[in-house]
Amino acid sequence: MAEFKTSIVNKGEVSIISVKGYLDAHTAPALENNFTELINKERFKIVINFEELAYISSAGLGVFMAYIEKIRDNKGDIKLASMSDKVFNIFDLLGFPLLYEIYKSEDEAIGKFSESKS
Amino acid sequence: MNSVTSDLLMITGFKNIVSNAQFQLTLVSIFILFVFKLLTGNSDSLPAKLLGDFLLLITVLFLALTIISYIKKKQASPIALVMNVGVIIALIFLIITFGDSILSLFYNNAAEMVNAGGLISSLISVAYVIFIAGLLVYLIIVLRHLYFLRQGENLHLFFNTMIAMFVLASVTDHFIANGELAFISDTFFIVSIILISYNSIKISWIAFIIKREKIYLLILSIVITGLFMVNLISGSGENNYTQMIKSLSPAMSTFSTITMIYGAVYFSILFFTTLFHIPTAEAFDRKAQEVSSLQYFSKLITRVLDFNELSETVTDITLKVGRADASWIIWKKNDEFTSIASKGAGYVDTEIINSHLFEKTKWESFNSPKFFNIEKIPDQDKLSSRFKMIATSPLKTHGILKGILVSARKSGSNFNEEDKSAIATFSDYASVALENSRLLEESIEKERLEKELDVAREIQRKILPLKNPEYDGLEISSVFIPAFEVGGDYYDFFPISKSKLGLIIADVSGKGISAAFIMAEVKGIFESLSKTIEKPRDILIKANEILRNTLDNKTFVSAAYGLIDLDKDLLYLSRAGHCPVLHIRNETAEKIKPTGIGLGICDTEYFEETLEETIISLEENDTIVLYTDGITEAKDSQLNDFGERYFTEILLENRQKNAEDIANKVIREVSLFSKDHSQYDDITLLILKWKPRQSTGNGRERKKTTINGEKEWQNSKPQL
Repeated sequence: MAEFKTSIVNKGEVSIISVKGYLDAHTAPALENNFTELINKERFKIVINFEELAYISSAGLGVFMAYIEKIRDNKGDIKLASMSDKVFNIFDLLGFPLLYEIYKSEDEAIGKFSESKS
Repeated sequence: MNSVTSDLLMITGFKNIVSNAQFQLTLVSIFILFVFKLLTGNSDSLPAKLLGDFLLLITVLFLALTIISYIKKKQASPIALVMNVGVIIALIFLIITFGDSILSLFYNNAAEMVNAGGLISSLISVAYVIFIAGLLVYLIIVLRHLYFLRQGENLHLFFNTMIAMFVLASVTDHFIANGELAFISDTFFIVSIILISYNSIKISWIAFIIKREKIYLLILSIVITGLFMVNLISGSGENNYTQMIKSLSPAMSTFSTITMIYGAVYFSILFFTTLFHIPTAEAFDRKAQEVSSLQYFSKLITRVLDFNELSETVTDITLKVGRADASWIIWKKNDEFTSIASKGAGYVDTEIINSHLFEKTKWESFNSPKFFNIEKIPDQDKLSSRFKMIATSPLKTHGILKGILVSARKSGSNFNEEDKSAIATFSDYASVALENSRLLEESIEKERLEKELDVAREIQRKILPLKNPEYDGLEISSVFIPAFEVGGDYYDFFPISKSKLGLIIADVSGKGISAAFIMAEVKGIFESLSKTIEKPRDILIKANEILRNTLDNKTFVSAAYGLIDLDKDLLYLSRAGHCPVLHIRNETAEKIKPTGIGLGICDTEYFEETLEETIISLEENDTIVLYTDGITEAKDSQLNDFGERYFTEILLENRQKNAEDIANKVIREVSLFSKDHSQYDDITLLILKWKPRQSTGNGRERKKTTINGEKEWQNSKPQL
């Protein structure tokens, strides 16, 4: 049941990870690998596109916490975009909007990176 | 036990006596024969001859029994048996050849000695005949062993009849050969020859010996056939051998002749049979090796259950079965190919060859055995040893290709269809074995996980309160349903005074034993904090500070902490990332969701900055509902969520009921909703219902909310 897929697209300095399906304890390692990969390539400006994410569990949320410090230390950020109401609700309950920038669309999130640069 | 042992001892002891008895009887009969010879001398009278033959027959019988009981103890190989025949027939040959010259030292010829009579003459001739008889009997017994080797059917009758015919032909030959009844003797003789031919054809054991032994046997059998023939010819002439034997027992002379014929026929047929087997010997060796390898392997798979050990064995046997110089397994794991259990080839070599294989051939195409010539691959120079030919065979389970068994040859002949089928057969076996070991490892892992989960559930069960506290003016109901994979839900009550009660509901991120341990830690933290701090906000701030240091960076705890003051009819509530708290009053359900980040996510400073505390004033029949996401995220078969809306509807519908009944109703609805879907997360539900107080009857009259005016509280903005 727990089908989960990710894909990474680079747009300039920003890397976009699109997540699809069910993100839980069993599928989280795939996303963790994506983060490590980007960090190893020193790409710290990351946007997560949640458009096709059906479900996220607490272990899934933990993935974003695990890398945020390292990324922010390197003047990067993880920005979250295109969440469904249901997914947003889960992030919201936990107080993530206080910790992460959440945008309606991927482009908006990418735009914020260039804004902060200039 | 003791009696059994002593019984066994008695049996072996008895057997010893029996075999000794046979030997003793042999000695006795030899002695009688000797005395008889001494007394009768060279009497030609028929009764004397008859008695002599009879005595000799008895002696030979005992001799045969003694030799049989001795030989049975040894399990001889066919080659050893043939060697035995060779030694005996050579010995007889030597006696025939040199007997005359040795005897001539004492007498002119054998006949003179035989006729001399007297003690010494009798002694020598009896000893001579008994010795020859012993050799002949031994010969027959060894031939009998050879005859029965690897014989599928029961052929005792044929052999025994043949021996009986030998004896009858021998005995009758002497007494009635010259009379009108000669045909009787002739008949026995002819039947003997027919049986000899028939019995010599069936030599099935040749097939089972290896090529080297066959060549050896070829030489042996031609030499032995020659010896038998020479002995046969000289046995019919006038020499010490015939004279000595004839003088004591003419029958034995005939018996010796027939035995020589049998030997000559048997070994000449053996020679030709072996000759015809030589061309196919290699193929047979090959098959025999395959079979023994497979036997060894099938024995092994029941014992070796470790995947790595088993793969080592698989490649080991592949070397033999496929007569390869190197073998390894390409195993597919997470879409990556790795060489495992490599034999005869270095890691670099296998990688180069693997990449060459996958360059032109798709993974799926390896579903059937394949050959590759790699003599001319571009990277051949990089290989540490030059491989010429590769054979691949699939390792699949339930039709799915899991790995490839590779065999490689450096030189020699290319792999042929024979090799292909041998390796394919073996890879079928190997697939099953490898799958078994993998399944076993999985089930061990599963069992381990289940044990772990048992422990986790046990921890959780012990951490949660045994019963709800009892307060005047408050109905408390709690329901907790653990998920199979412990979900990390935790709730607790901390009675502070008669009118004050602290309570917490929390959910640790993650599952299983790690979640259970964190639960235990969380319980410890709140248990101790609740004793010194009353304010929910302060407690959560402290808890965050502690958990921030102890939890790893991807684990967090969502919690809601409440303090109920029954004197003031107030609920102080802070929420750290947990599900909202529901406040049911009359026909409205209010979602109480003060801001707050989950515990262990951010630093104390920011946590404190963002954490709110809200105060709810309560009236009679008001209901406060605390829950974990196990309820709202319960799923039906279509993966729809139970959801907050439906949850609220049920609460409103049943608001008149007491706390216990409301809780039961909710749980029933949740389980009904998710009956077709397994419970994935823990379910925790706390229902608190305000009731009229007994002791201070007017307690409920103070309906107006009085917010305690502590300064920091005023800054918080309740999100109602």
